[in-house]
Amino acid sequence: MFEVENKIRQEAKRVLENGLVELVIGWAPGSVPFRTTPVFIDRPEDVDKLVWNPVCANNLAVYLPKIAKDRKVGIVAKPCDIRSIVALIQENQVKRDNIYIIGLGCAGVVDPSRLELAGVRLSDVTALDWAADGIKVITLNGEQLLKSTDVHRDMCLACTKREPALFDVKFGEAVLPSEVKPRELPELPEERQKYWSEQFSKCIRCYACRQICPNCYCEVCFADRVEPKWTAKKAVPEENWMFHATRAMHLAGRCIQCGECERVCPVGIRIAELMREMAEAVKNKYDYEAGDPNEEAPLLGTFRENDVDPAQHS
Amino acid sequence: MADKILPKDKIPGFIDALQKQFVVVAPVERTDAPAEFKEVAPGDNLILDGSQMMMPPKDYLLPRYETLLKVSARPGEVEVQPVVPENKPRVMLGMWLPDAQAIQVLDRVFLDGKFKDPYYAARRENTTLVAVMPAEMRWSWFCASTDDVEKWKPNVDAIMYDLGDRFYIEVTSPKGEAVVEWDGLSAPSSDDVENKNRLWEQFKSHNVLPFSDGKFYERLAWDHPIWAEIAQKCIGCGVCSYMCPSCSCFDIQDEVCGTCIERYRCRDTCQFEEFTLMGSGHNPRPDQLPRSRQRLMHKFKYQHEQYGVVGCTGCGRCVELCPVNVDIRDVLNKVCAEREPEPTT
Amino acid sequence: MSEDAVLVEEKAELESSESTQQERTWQPIILGILCNWCSYAGADLAGTSRLQYPESIRIIRVPCSGRVDPAFVLKAFRKGFDGVMVLGCHPGDCHYAKGNYYARRRITLLQDLLKALGLPEERFHFEWVSASEGNRFAELVQEFTEKIRRLGPFKGVVTPEKKTL
Ligand code: SF4
Ligand code: SF4
Ligand code: SF4
Ligand code: SF4
Ligand code: FES
Repeated sequence: MFEVENKIRQEAKRVLENGLVELVIGWAPGSVPFRTTPVFIDRPEDVDKLVWNPVCANNLAVYLPKIAKDRKVGIVAKPCDIRSIVALIQENQVKRDNIYIIGLGCAGVVDPSRLELAGVRLSDVTALDWAADGIKVITLNGEQLLKSTDVHRDMCLACTKREPALFDVKFGEAVLPSEVKPRELPELPEERQKYWSEQFSKCIRCYACRQICPNCYCEVCFADRVEPKWTAKKAVPEENWMFHATRAMHLAGRCIQCGECERVCPVGIRIAELMREMAEAVKNKYDYEAGDPNEEAPLLGTFRENDVDPAQHS
Repeated sequence: MADKILPKDKIPGFIDALQKQFVVVAPVERTDAPAEFKEVAPGDNLILDGSQMMMPPKDYLLPRYETLLKVSARPGEVEVQPVVPENKPRVMLGMWLPDAQAIQVLDRVFLDGKFKDPYYAARRENTTLVAVMPAEMRWSWFCASTDDVEKWKPNVDAIMYDLGDRFYIEVTSPKGEAVVEWDGLSAPSSDDVENKNRLWEQFKSHNVLPFSDGKFYERLAWDHPIWAEIAQKCIGCGVCSYMCPSCSCFDIQDEVCGTCIERYRCRDTCQFEEFTLMGSGHNPRPDQLPRSRQRLMHKFKYQHEQYGVVGCTGCGRCVELCPVNVDIRDVLNKVCAEREPEPTT
Repeated sequence: MSEDAVLVEEKAELESSESTQQERTWQPIILGILCNWCSYAGADLAGTSRLQYPESIRIIRVPCSGRVDPAFVLKAFRKGFDGVMVLGCHPGDCHYAKGNYYARRRITLLQDLLKALGLPEERFHFEWVSASEGNRFAELVQEFTEKIRRLGPFKGVVTPEKKTL
């Protein structure tokens, strides 16, 4: 970890010093040892703020459309964050030339609330690191080794694309999960409806999921539109359904599976579960994966003559 | 005022007894989500010990969504019908002490002054507040940095201290007496009193941070560079304010359904772009910087000036839940470390 | 009028006539989103040819199936329509050459979304129709109405116990 961290700092310093970029976006230590926070560095002497550890959760690509509009920006990015960058480039939200990607091989990030469930007292934690077969938590009372499957985020437990797909420089090794976590969505339609009714009824419409999503960059979101009013602002199950269903549609073929929406939801709605389901449909029907640099155009911005036919032909 | 002991195995009996006199509102457990304040119904699993993050109690007093009035129109007649909730005796149990103090802030907004909010008043005026003091202090709490917490005690009607197998119920106002009337409660032993006092001391000394000299509101400056620093990373979501027990901002919207109109109130926040967007298209808070500044200045400065209470009670929800780790404790520490107090006007 | 307003009004009309409807046998209310150049013309043809088709369908005319935002369909279900039909020109026949090819992908994913959300997929029907197929249009509406009638009233996008009063 420290080795990679040092390389990130050196590289950030180099590109800032030689004027390749005006700014580097990365993670800095958070206000507590089990969190990190986005940091925007524009002076070479500040690069020591940059860190790389298992709580570097934020997908920093969310800042790019605004911040890299008319200047060159360096970004420290995990493979999922890089898929966002690719998607943003494909959708013309950022220019490849404006972005300098410091890509990282990934071993999965940790969900701090799961540390608590695994019996760690959060106030005792002083640092976290990856270990050969899990996560090492350093606390005031010593070290603890936790199983990856117990403390990683769900999205990480399902992620097999842990090598950067696009980068200018790359550090660190990817570690693949020993098994891929299956989705937990019930099979029967009635049970699915019940599942989502329960999930969506919790939503308080804080829009953190949308705000943190690198692909939700719309200047005015449909949910904020007054005319036409697609969904009322009141947080009732039906309106929440409308918000989530429409958002899922907008992200079909665009969601790059970073899991940020699910991470930030204050009421634990399993949004990424829906996103994964949709991504799988996209993969099966169009052999398309959002955020893959080999894809030429956004899924819904193009077509093939022999696409699947949705007509029901009664 | 007679304090009482409630053994934890007697909680169901205690709730039953309260329900004979009151509508009992308490945090009800939910899957994968913080417990939520609801009117207790049979079969609900209550979380009364304050050991977990719960939704703020304002969700009950100032619901996320509430119908204010209904208009029905038929040819030749228009009928307007306010939908005011019933004013019933209620007891709210299980809220953290900072959450109970936050209700003071809501009271100032909705009950004081020229306009009393009838909807809020109907739920609030006849409500007895029973706070909980959990056995362990949460890492994110910084209550004692925001205020002299001794002053908070009379603002609740009783406090339940978690002493392991029992709760120590401290009655802090005459209204609170009604809560301890049940004969299943016993008198505390001197050990119980000692343990309760220890918990209180623990609370009073927990996370007393550098900024907490009782003057921080004088030091928050409009032009401090910190605002730009937070605004750069803040994504402008509603987490901090919607989960905050004292944030009170709302929106009022009308919805047409066939021949009727529903006017409802729902949450809104200064963190959203639309919050200050005018019909003309002008937005006096055009980007995140003034929005980030507004949240902190309002809580720590304006509300203190306006009402004499600090708008933040240190419950730590925004600290724990902010997606980008904007930690207001750090923000205040930074602001206060650098500035000499401005002369008060 | 915006799409939204249309939906609201359609549904309002339907609600106000609800009591009278319950007295008769239950009639499903179906939203048809029809392309101007094919199915809408087909509907016209069906009308001028005096073909019978059920009154259950409320029609919104769009310039092309490529104009159909999946949110139209989602909103229709949210407002409680019992079934939604989207009809467009046969592949290769779109008046704007490619609109229906784009629509095809969107509609496919919309079907997947409905499935993922556990909504009864049978309540959504997508079909290619041409302007000369007045007969076929009438049959489609007839069949879809029958199907929805068998399924019964749509209970809403969320399960009844989660419904707002
Ligand atoms: S939900 Fe849709 S409209 Fe809203 S920001 Fe995301 S992509 Fe844009
Ligand atoms: S929808 Fe969720 S998982 Fe997909 S890109 Fe957006 S934040 Fe990431
Ligand atoms: S983050 Fe969670 S609560 Fe907030 S709008 Fe999204 S789903 Fe709803
Ligand atoms: S929760 Fe954090 S990111 Fe969201 S508005 Fe508040 S400070 Fe900004
Ligand atoms: S014109 Fe009919 S589908 Fe495009």
